[in-house]
Amino acid sequence: MSTLIHNSRLLDPASGLDGPGGLLIEEDKIAGLGTGFSPDKVKASEVIDAGGLCLAPGLVDLRVKTGEPGEEQRETLATASRAAVAGGVTSMVVMPDTNPVIDDVALVQFILNRGRETAVNRVYPAGALTRGLNGEAMAEIGLMAEAGAALFTNGDHPVGDAGILRRTFAYAASQSAIVAGRPDVESLSGSGVMNAGALAARMGLKGIPRDAEWIGLARDLILAQATGVRLLVDRISTGKSLDMVRQAKADGTHVYATVAAHHLFFNELDVGDYLTYCKTNPPFRTEDDRQALIDGLAAGDIDAVVSAHDPQPPEEKRLPYSEASFGAAGLETTLSALLALVQDERVELLTALRAVTSGPADLLGLEQGRLADGAPADLILFDPNKPWLCERENLLSRSANSPFDGRRMVGRVNRTWVGGLAVFSR
Amino acid sequence: MPASGEPYRFEHQHLLSIDGLNRLDILKILDLAETYADATRREVRPDPILRDKTVINLFFESSTRTMSSFEIAARRLGADVVSMPVANSSVKKGETLIDTAMTLNAMKPDVLVIRHSASGGAKLLSRKVDCAVINAGDGMHQHPTQGLLDTLTIRRARGQVEGLKVTICGDITHSRVARSSALCLHLLGAEVTLCGPKTLLPSGTDTWGASRAVTNFDEAIEGADVVMMLRLQLERMDGAYLPSRREYFRQFGLTAERLARAAPGATVMHPGPMNRGIEIESAIADGPQSVITDQVEMGVAVREAVLDLLAGGRA
Repeated sequence: MSTLIHNSRLLDPASGLDGPGGLLIEEDKIAGLGTGFSPDKVKASEVIDAGGLCLAPGLVDLRVKTGEPGEEQRETLATASRAAVAGGVTSMVVMPDTNPVIDDVALVQFILNRGRETAVNRVYPAGALTRGLNGEAMAEIGLMAEAGAALFTNGDHPVGDAGILRRTFAYAASQSAIVAGRPDVESLSGSGVMNAGALAARMGLKGIPRDAEWIGLARDLILAQATGVRLLVDRISTGKSLDMVRQAKADGTHVYATVAAHHLFFNELDVGDYLTYCKTNPPFRTEDDRQALIDGLAAGDIDAVVSAHDPQPPEEKRLPYSEASFGAAGLETTLSALLALVQDERVELLTALRAVTSGPADLLGLEQGRLADGAPADLILFDPNKPWLCERENLLSRSANSPFDGRRMVGRVNRTWVGGLAVFSR
Repeated sequence: MPASGEPYRFEHQHLLSIDGLNRLDILKILDLAETYADATRREVRPDPILRDKTVINLFFESSTRTMSSFEIAARRLGADVVSMPVANSSVKKGETLIDTAMTLNAMKPDVLVIRHSASGGAKLLSRKVDCAVINAGDGMHQHPTQGLLDTLTIRRARGQVEGLKVTICGDITHSRVARSSALCLHLLGAEVTLCGPKTLLPSGTDTWGASRAVTNFDEAIEGADVVMMLRLQLERMDGAYLPSRREYFRQFGLTAERLARAAPGATVMHPGPMNRGIEIESAIADGPQSVITDQVEMGVAVREAVLDLLAGGRA
C-alpha cells in the first residue's frame, strides 16, 4: 500500500522546507518527498492531487483533557480523537486528572490500550506527578515512564508545598522525566474567575491576578534550576512570564514554555457579557499580554502551542459566569487560531507550525512532527486561506464549549493521515 | 416631549444595568417616578396600568426590603404579584438558574424581577426568557433601581444633580450599589468621589463614573454636598480585609465631627440595612440631614416607574 500526494506546498518546520512538491507514503511511513515526487516519476497504489494546498506534519498537542475514564459524558478518547483529526491533531497528550487519576502503571496502560482501540490518532498519557494529584506524595514516575507516560504533571493545580515540589523535581530529573507545571499560587488566584483588573472590578467578578502566575513561575523556575529537571511551563498567559522564561533559559535552566492557542486570540474583553465559553484558567489576559505572547511565538520563544482542550458539558457552562466551570474546547480551532496570526503577518507560517509540530515532538523525543524520509506518515493537508464559520453545532467534540463559537476563521484542514491511514477528510 | 425632532422613546426591553441607559432614559424614569411619588403623597391611586399583568419576584438572595418594595410598586399599578424568596428553597439547590428561568417563562409572566448572588445573573436570565427582566441586584455587579432611587432622592433633596459633589464611602469592591449609583449620578453630571479602605477600593473606578477614588475619608468628605455611606459586611472586618470594627469606625465612620467637613447642610444617605455605630452614628442617621427614609420611599416610586416603562404598554 502506497500513497502519493503531489502538487502540494510542502511545509516542514523541522528542516525549514517550504516549497512545491510531492510526498510518498509507504505503509505507515514517509518514503520520500520533494519536487521529483510526481505521478509521472513515482508509482503508487493511490495518487492524490493536492491542488496546491499545504502538506505539513500533523499537530502534536501537549495538553488535551478528555473525560475518560470517569466522565465520559464530557468526552472520550474516541470523540476527542475525531475532533482532533478534524483539527489536524495527529498526536495528543491526555491529562491525568480523570477519575480515577492516572497515577499508576495500570492506568497508564489503560489509556494506551483505549487509545489504540478507540482513537483515530496517537494518544499519549501524561502521568500524575503526585498520587491522586494530592500534591503530597510522589507518584511512581519511573514505572509510569517505563510504561509509556509521556510527561508528568499535577494537572490544573500546582503542587502547593515547595518542599515536596523540590524533591519531586529532583526525583523526576533523575528519571529524565519531563514535568509540566502550571505556574500559580492558589492563595492568590483563589476564587477568581477572570483576569484581575479594572474590567473584572466593573463587572463585579473576582479577579485572578497576574502576580499569582509570576510568583508561582518564579518558584518553579528556581526549583527547576536547582534540581536540573526538564520543566515545561504549562500555559503562560502574560508577557512578563515569557520574559521570566527567557531569562531562565539564558541561565541554562532546562525550561520550556507552552501557550494555549486561545490566549493568542482572545483578551479579557472577550468575556463580554459574562460569556462562560470564555471562562478559562489561566484567564484571557490584557491585550498587551496577548501581543507579547504573539511576539514571543514569532521570535520562537514559545516551545509549544497547545489546544488546552477541556470539554465541559452544557450543565457546567449554562450557569452564571462565576458558577460555570473553567475550560474551553480547542482541538478543532488550534491550527486556525495560528493561521489567523499568519494571515495578519504577525508570525511566519513555518514558525507557527513549528510550535505545534516538531517543537512539541522534540520535547517528548517523538519521531513524528516532521516531513522526513522514514518518519511516521502523520500528515495534514490544509488550505491556509479557507474562510469558515466556527459554529458549536458543527464541532465534533462531545462538548462544544468553544470560545471561537460564532467566529469567522481562516484556514482549515482538508485531510488528515495518521500512520499513513487517511483518518479524516472534509 | 420635545416639540421638535424625534420624540423620545424608552426603548429597553429589560433593566439590567445603569450601563445601558443614557441620560434621557434616566431622566424619563426619574420624572415618571416623581409623579408616582407625588401621587402617593397625595394618596392618589395611580392608573392600574399593570392590570392583568403578572410580575414574578425571584429572589435567590434573601432581601425583605427590596422584595417588598418591588411588590408594593407592582401592586400599586394593579399587577398580580408572585414573590418567590427562593434563597433557602429547593429551587436553589440542584435546579440551575436557567432551568428556573425556563420554568417561570413557561408560566408567561410579564415581568421577572430577579436578585441573584452571581454577577451577570440577571443578564443570563434575560437571554432565556421572553418577558421583561429587572435586575434587583446581581452579585457585586449592579442594582440599577437602587442607583436610580438614590439619584431621585438626591434630586428631590437638592433640587438638581448636576454639579453636586457626592462622596460614596465604604466597601466599594463588593458593592453593586456603588457601581450603580456612581454611574447614574455621573451620567446626570454629579462629581462622584469613592472612598474606602485600600483593600475594598478596586482599580479602574473611573470607568464606572467616579472622578476620584481615595482612602482618606476626611479628604473625601471635604466640601461634599451628599455623603452616601455603604453597608459593610461585618465578617469583612475581622482581619481579612480590615483589622477591626473600631479601626474602621475611626477611619471611615460618619460622625458629626466628620460631617462638619462636608458642605453646610450636606445630605446624608445609606442604602440600608445600616450597621449603626460602625458606618454611621445613630444621631446622624436619624438627624435632620438624613434622607434615609426618603430613599426607601423613592424606591417604591422608581420601581413603579420602571415597571410602567417596561410593561405598562405605553413606552
